[in-house]
Amino acid sequence: MDESTIIEGMARGDQRAFREFVEKYKKKVYYLALDMAGNPIDAEDISQEVFLKVFRSFATFKKGAKLGSWLYRVTYNACIDHLRRKGNVPEPVGDDVLDSLSQGSTGLPSMPVKDPAQSAESNQLQARIASALEKVSPQEKAVFLLRHYDDLMLKDIASSLGLSIGSVKSYLFRAVRKLQKELGGPAAISGVEASHD
Amino acid sequence: MINCRISKDRMIEALYGELGPSDKERFDDHLRSCPACASEYSAMGETLKLMDKRERPDPGPAFWAGYWDRLSRRRLWEATEEGRRPFLGVRLVRLFSRLPRWSYQTAGAAALLLVGILIGSRLITPPVPVSPSTRGAVESGAVVKAENYIERSKILLLGLVNYDAATEDAYAFDLGGKKTMSRELAAQAPAIRGALNERGQKRLRDLVSDLEVIMMQIANLGSGQDVEGVELIKQGVDRRGIFLKIDLDRMGRDARGPVDPASPAGESKLPKTKKT
Repeated sequence: MDESTIIEGMARGDQRAFREFVEKYKKKVYYLALDMAGNPIDAEDISQEVFLKVFRSFATFKKGAKLGSWLYRVTYNACIDHLRRKGNVPEPVGDDVLDSLSQGSTGLPSMPVKDPAQSAESNQLQARIASALEKVSPQEKAVFLLRHYDDLMLKDIASSLGLSIGSVKSYLFRAVRKLQKELGGPAAISGVEASHD
Repeated sequence: MINCRISKDRMIEALYGELGPSDKERFDDHLRSCPACASEYSAMGETLKLMDKRERPDPGPAFWAGYWDRLSRRRLWEATEEGRRPFLGVRLVRLFSRLPRWSYQTAGAAALLLVGILIGSRLITPPVPVSPSTRGAVESGAVVKAENYIERSKILLLGLVNYDAATEDAYAFDLGGKKTMSRELAAQAPAIRGALNERGQKRLRDLVSDLEVIMMQIANLGSGQDVEGVELIKQGVDRRGIFLKIDLDRMGRDARGPVDPASPAGESKLPKTKKT
């Protein structure tokens, strides 16, 4: 079943189209929720909430819009709501502030890259990466995950999350810089930054 | 030639290959003449390469195979009175927050009058028993929740009992993730057990209790890989016949009929949902 058939079917309230839709997108929704919420139980709850919400409110889906983009937006909002309920999401920064922030820079350490040969090292690396991602704000994390792992173009992320391209670039820039800081070793690039701008 | 400010603005697009050819050429020209920007660009690129090594834990084929069933059961549960309760609560709060003050006084007086009439009518006539269909709808909410709980616990336990310390990589086993999941499941169990308070739900309640104990044992496993602890839990699962009980529950559920709303039979079983 192609996307237009799924959309037509869901608009009619067709259960088979809904099932097809769930089968097609369940992994994307689940993994985004898992990355945002941080635990598999919450991730499944959020992903189920997303699908049920999409089914209930399909009438609000604009004809001609991308189903995937809409779904990402619903998922993102569900994740933010979930984090807000848990009390660990800061208020989003305005577009104008973000645009100005993308022009600036902070001194951050450089990063030595090791290729883990042993599984223990690999496990350690995974723990470091997970810990680094926890330091990134939910908005920055969502943008980073969608660009880096779901391969969405910046403009598609902007339309999915209802942000300007400038904001998406700013969130992404800040996310990468924070990850760089968290994953980096002791060697810093402060000298480089000092000569900058 | 672009300056450092513009270079920084275009760095993200350059890293992800989203710069057009002419912009990319200008960006590269700048990097060749600016060691600071070149170094920053390189460091960010290294970070992204490291992030490429990130592995997302796959919940496994059993999780994905049962996803639709669990979603269908939740839909079924949300269609019950119990599932709709929070939604109604939110709506009532919104409704009351918009009403003027005098309406509270009027509503209060009306409520008192209603309570009086209700008490009076109860004293005069015996209470009408709850119809089986209404009770069934309320019951099914608790049962559906319990069944989803059992399904989630089963997926977790399958991952645990199928692990063979002699042949498999202990570090790839991800016991930490399983402990986190178990902790969450153990925390959910009391509420699920508490809701199963009707006669005829004892077997389901006992199964949730058994699973709760095992989830607590998993959550309390020692740090590191704790292979011995895992073995003890596997023996406990075996001794209590957990998988047999889960299968019996599943068979009973299948005998009651499908919950798949995509199937015509399943659709006809679903109570009507409220459209929002």
